[in-house]
Amino acid sequence: MITNAIQVTGLHKAYGHIKALDGIDVTVQEGEIFGLLGANGAGKSTLINVLIGTLASDSGSAEVLGFDPRKQRRQLRPQVGYMPQHQALYEDLSARDNIRFFARAQPIDNLEQRLDEVIEFMGLTDRQHDPVYGYSGGMEQRVSLACALVHKPRLLFLDEPSTGVDPKLRESLWGHFRELVKQGVTIVVSTHQMDEALHCDRVCVMRNGEILACDSPRDLLARGKVEVTIWKDGQAQTQTVTNYAKELPQLLGVDSAISKIEIHEDTLEDVVLRLINKGKHHA
Amino acid sequence: MLNQTSAVTVRVLKQLSHDRRFVGLSLIVPVFVIYLLWIFFDAVERPFFNVETFVPPVAAFIVHFLTYVLCAIVLVRERSTHTLVRMFVSGYDRVSIIGGYLVAYSLLATLQSLIVLVMLNSLFELNYDMGTFVSMFVVIWLLAIISIALGIFVSNFARNEGQVFPFIPLVIMPSIFFSGMIMSVDLLPNWAAPLSYLTPMFYANEVIQSIISTGGNSMFMVGLIAYGGVILVLAIFTLRE
Repeated sequence: MITNAIQVTGLHKAYGHIKALDGIDVTVQEGEIFGLLGANGAGKSTLINVLIGTLASDSGSAEVLGFDPRKQRRQLRPQVGYMPQHQALYEDLSARDNIRFFARAQPIDNLEQRLDEVIEFMGLTDRQHDPVYGYSGGMEQRVSLACALVHKPRLLFLDEPSTGVDPKLRESLWGHFRELVKQGVTIVVSTHQMDEALHCDRVCVMRNGEILACDSPRDLLARGKVEVTIWKDGQAQTQTVTNYAKELPQLLGVDSAISKIEIHEDTLEDVVLRLINKGKHHA
Repeated sequence: MLNQTSAVTVRVLKQLSHDRRFVGLSLIVPVFVIYLLWIFFDAVERPFFNVETFVPPVAAFIVHFLTYVLCAIVLVRERSTHTLVRMFVSGYDRVSIIGGYLVAYSLLATLQSLIVLVMLNSLFELNYDMGTFVSMFVVIWLLAIISIALGIFVSNFARNEGQVFPFIPLVIMPSIFFSGMIMSVDLLPNWAAPLSYLTPMFYANEVIQSIISTGGNSMFMVGLIAYGGVILVLAIFTLRE
């Protein structure tokens, strides 16, 4: 039975005259990877901060794993992991000491064994005793993720986890995320990288505190279009087609005057940018 | 809660052990300042203050000043590096965070208080007996602990290290002018005298004077402890995620 890990209804949060969240309604199912996609300032981090209880909303309701994230944060936090946008690590301590410190916030049996497991999972074994200030950005990201995972949370919040990370490490991180989902963890990840959204089960597109669309990447892509430009007699003619497999032969006919054909198929980025630039759509 | 407090304490002590310069300066600076004070009194033929009643509270003030300033930036740094938010989301509570810092820095404060008192007794040839020495140590140590709590309380109101600096004179100047260290509180105008109760140096000075002379009032030890309790509670309640 699929249950909702997160249920948000009519959430509002303003900073002065800036509406960071403007009537957000969203649900996240248990066991899915849910993406929050949008430009800087869209409200992604604000939504995450409300859901982890560090920020109170102005109105509306939020339920995370059955708890009010603000009023019941003591009960909620043992079940939630959080990887912040900034590294939030003690750079003068080693990776192992950092992870141990954040682990000790919760009672964990066989703590040192658990540290060994999570350090190995994140590929940090060789340098676990070195101070973090000597790490590359990618290694720091891995330590940050390890700190979020060490107490085996049911729900994981990742705030732009692959910012500043090279493609190879990004792929490695997503491999870890998929492994966690197989173990039953629900993941909420915020990103402004369109190609990352393709890894998610569902993506929520945000702009100026509003949700523009909330759908699987495939269904979002299906909203896209294909433009076909045909050069004929030195002139270009562009047409938008929805099913070019069917329509293209008609367009082409049997016409020897056609010198060139160009097909542009919308990527997910094109669909999202069009949504953002057009304004609010009903999800 | 005890587990969390000890985790914070261990972490802070580990960080201090990696920052030997910080620890060294925390211990050497008060020694240097006491030495400067001794040079001053040694050079002045007729000192305008009685050395025996003036110097001990000044030594206590030096410990108060240093521990307050050092601790005022502590939680600000946690906030600016976002580790404070991470602590809260991981499950640490306010009492454990502040308690952990208090325990960790109190070890440093203990060393500071001991070194200052030994320097004082030796340089100024005060010849304290064991009872007086222990009593003086307890007062200075308590003042140092309260100064840690005061520094943590103040750091809750600053968003970055730069914002901490205006708070320094706001706490330290009343300690100088309203504590009775330079002139008796009785000589202050009526409107200013109650301000003495807002600074921990006032209570500490009263107790120190009662130990080393016929002046002062030892009952202010209760006031000093109560002041520390109030500041600690305020520090805990004003710590926000």
